[in-house]
Amino acid sequence: MTTETSLKRATEILAPFSKGNANPETNRLDVDIEASDLPAATSALMRNQWGYLSAITPTDLGKEMNKLEVIYHFCEGAAITSLRIHLPREDQPDIPSISDQIPVASFFERELGEMLGVHVVGTPDSSRLFLPDDWPDRVYPLREDFSVEQAAPVVPRATLPEIGRVGNKFTVPIGPQHPALKEPGHFEFSVDGEIITGARMRLGYVHRGIEKATEKRNWIQNLYLLERICGICSHTHTSAYAMGVEKLAQVEVPRRAQAIREIIAGLERIHSHLLWLGVAAHEAGFDTLFMYSWRDRETVMDLLETLTGNRVNYSIIVLGGVKHDIAAEHSRSIHTALDYLEERIRYYLHIVTTDASFLQRTRGIGTMTLEEARHFGALGPTARASGLERDVRIDAPYGAYHYFPVSLITGENGDLEARFEVRMKELLVTCFTIRTLVDNLPPGELAVRFPRKIPAGETISRVEAPRGEAFYYIKSGGGESPLRIKIRTPSLCNWTSVLNKAVGHQLADVPMLIAGMDPCFSCNDRMITVRRKNDLQTFSWSQIREYGIRKYAAVRELK
Amino acid sequence: MNIISSLISLMFFPAGISLILSGMLYEWADRKLVARFQNRIGPRWFQPLADTIKLLSKEEIKPHGVNNLLFYGLPIVALSGALTAALYTPVIGLTPTYSFQGDLIVALYLLSLLTMCTGLAGWNGASRFSIIGATRSLTQLFAYEAPFLLALLGPAMAAGTWMIKDVSTYAESHWMFISQPVGFVVALIGLMGKLELPPFDAPEAETEIVAGALTEYSGRGLALFHIGKSVELVVAISLVTAFYLGGIGNPLVFLLKTLIILLFMSTLQSMLTRLRIDQTVGIWWRFGALLALLQILVIVLLKGWLS
Repeated sequence: MTTETSLKRATEILAPFSKGNANPETNRLDVDIEASDLPAATSALMRNQWGYLSAITPTDLGKEMNKLEVIYHFCEGAAITSLRIHLPREDQPDIPSISDQIPVASFFERELGEMLGVHVVGTPDSSRLFLPDDWPDRVYPLREDFSVEQAAPVVPRATLPEIGRVGNKFTVPIGPQHPALKEPGHFEFSVDGEIITGARMRLGYVHRGIEKATEKRNWIQNLYLLERICGICSHTHTSAYAMGVEKLAQVEVPRRAQAIREIIAGLERIHSHLLWLGVAAHEAGFDTLFMYSWRDRETVMDLLETLTGNRVNYSIIVLGGVKHDIAAEHSRSIHTALDYLEERIRYYLHIVTTDASFLQRTRGIGTMTLEEARHFGALGPTARASGLERDVRIDAPYGAYHYFPVSLITGENGDLEARFEVRMKELLVTCFTIRTLVDNLPPGELAVRFPRKIPAGETISRVEAPRGEAFYYIKSGGGESPLRIKIRTPSLCNWTSVLNKAVGHQLADVPMLIAGMDPCFSCNDRMITVRRKNDLQTFSWSQIREYGIRKYAAVRELK
Repeated sequence: MNIISSLISLMFFPAGISLILSGMLYEWADRKLVARFQNRIGPRWFQPLADTIKLLSKEEIKPHGVNNLLFYGLPIVALSGALTAALYTPVIGLTPTYSFQGDLIVALYLLSLLTMCTGLAGWNGASRFSIIGATRSLTQLFAYEAPFLLALLGPAMAAGTWMIKDVSTYAESHWMFISQPVGFVVALIGLMGKLELPPFDAPEAETEIVAGALTEYSGRGLALFHIGKSVELVVAISLVTAFYLGGIGNPLVFLLKTLIILLFMSTLQSMLTRLRIDQTVGIWWRFGALLALLQILVIVLLKGWLS
């Protein structure tokens, strides 16, 4: 189905609720609706199987407009339908919940409630998801009049009930600090013996306030800020952001730059999946595989360092192109490294599909059917392992994927084994794509000139991160810095499936189930920093600069 | 005089200090082998000793709501159980210090004391992780204990005695891993279950329940449990070697044989994925126990037929 027919269908479905339609971009449909019509409009879309809920963007339109804006983004293929709702700008205006129809909306609604101060009527869980426990009530960081002074910490209230023994049942807390989690998150699993009977989650332990911070920085500074959302898929965030801003500025990126971006994205995918393989194997208690895959991951890390100068935040993207070229000698070293990696990846694929003791822990565990994957709104390899054909690189090709298409890998069984298999096969496809790109690098410039000010407007850019679709909503007011950037990372959408599928499994399977979706906590968490008075641990910008200068002067002296 | 020599044999040689040190060396060998299999460099030879000294010198934190006597007493009981068991076994290729008819059973029960103490310590630990760890430790105990016992009873029945010394003497002329291969395999794998080594490390699966039953232990208590475990490693390996691999004989050859067993165990450790506790129990009762019973049946029938 083409994008036009998709959008036409959406227009027809939403016609009864529409208070005004717009087509801001060729692949987008904007429908203004009343808050009270939201559940009916959502159910009309769901009934007609139109796409999936990709994100909810909460925005404060400011004092002049005196309105709050909540946008529900639905995606089908390349087509995006946005339901735009305007609410009165007062404390806690009501908006109906759609969590009963779309489970994943529950997380978005928790975020909506705490960040914008909207009362989501009927949402199953309105406790805090991201904000710290000592955050004061009725202070909403995304409101325009929010200031840091308002966020002076109060006495923490327990957002989670006191945990104890209820009859024969236990609640096992996992996190924020726990050996199974390499990053902080908090899960509560109630167990009956070894069987899980319930699951809850709390995030925000590494919340850094990045979304809010983007509004105070200019377009170029934001590139480097957003790169630091995630230490694993940093390139995903810069490419999604750069693509969006370039679309707004109507700048055409040279083809060579696009191809180089995609090569780095591919290498990043290899490094991310190999890292995941190691972590997942460790959760299963198979440390040998963990050590081996991380050893081989160094190959691709070294390669990334050779190409970009950095191992983690590659910083190769500039607005309008890329910084570094890939020369002939680079392409030779890429091929050599890929020769080795491909051989290893084939070996790992063999291990995860044949090793009997490993299969005992993965085959038939956490099985998610195609319907469930669709219902829970799963994304990325987690969804594809259940046979759900959802991949932005194929559904809505961007950048070099227009000219160098990738093939879709799906699994059938939807269990942990399928997720291992899908990821490993995906790596082989990625290796092939990188080779093709390197051999056929289009000639041309690396970057074009880019304006300081971006014309007013809003756009949506989606990129397939190693974990699934990353969603960026970017709004410009015509100035040097954005009005609003909303980021929805893939991990947030995949939690629903994990928490729901965990029930009925054994406690021993939990780390594997969590690892199975390849969660990335740091990209979930990115909204708040609190500066406390007399806090020696907190630096101001000039202090940290001074500290850096002093430190490096000392280092130089030592040398 | 008798008391002094008993004390010396308990405190210094062959049990006591020398046993603890050799336990650490075995532990080092195991860690080093696994590390090399996993493409790591591994610890230096004195690392287990350094770890123990560090733990012994650290603060011991007692959680609220635990029974003092149990909390401080259990590590001591566990270690002394393992050390006492060493007196009846031919550790490091030496003749057992003490022997009496039936010491095999006593030694085996003394070895189980460590697991029992770990289980109790976990139950006393007042933490969810330690309680789940304790449940798993004890569940696992019930899984491997019977097959392991049966696997060691096989050689004893063949030798016609319950005394470890006599069985080893008998074993010197009968290499029982050839005549009782099934028992040998069950004993080896039972050993790994007993020592909670991967793939049988569900009771202390760090990714699920932190450190299992010992989660709340720190400092001295934890050090004592660790020492107990490395002592148990030596004692249990020595028992299996003496029974199945040609008795005591030459201490140097004996040492080599124990190292071969250790090599085998390290290989398995690095090759296999951790089993869930239900899978562990399933394996032991579906295969381990049945195979060991079959072995015993064959021995009984053969002995009857031969006489």
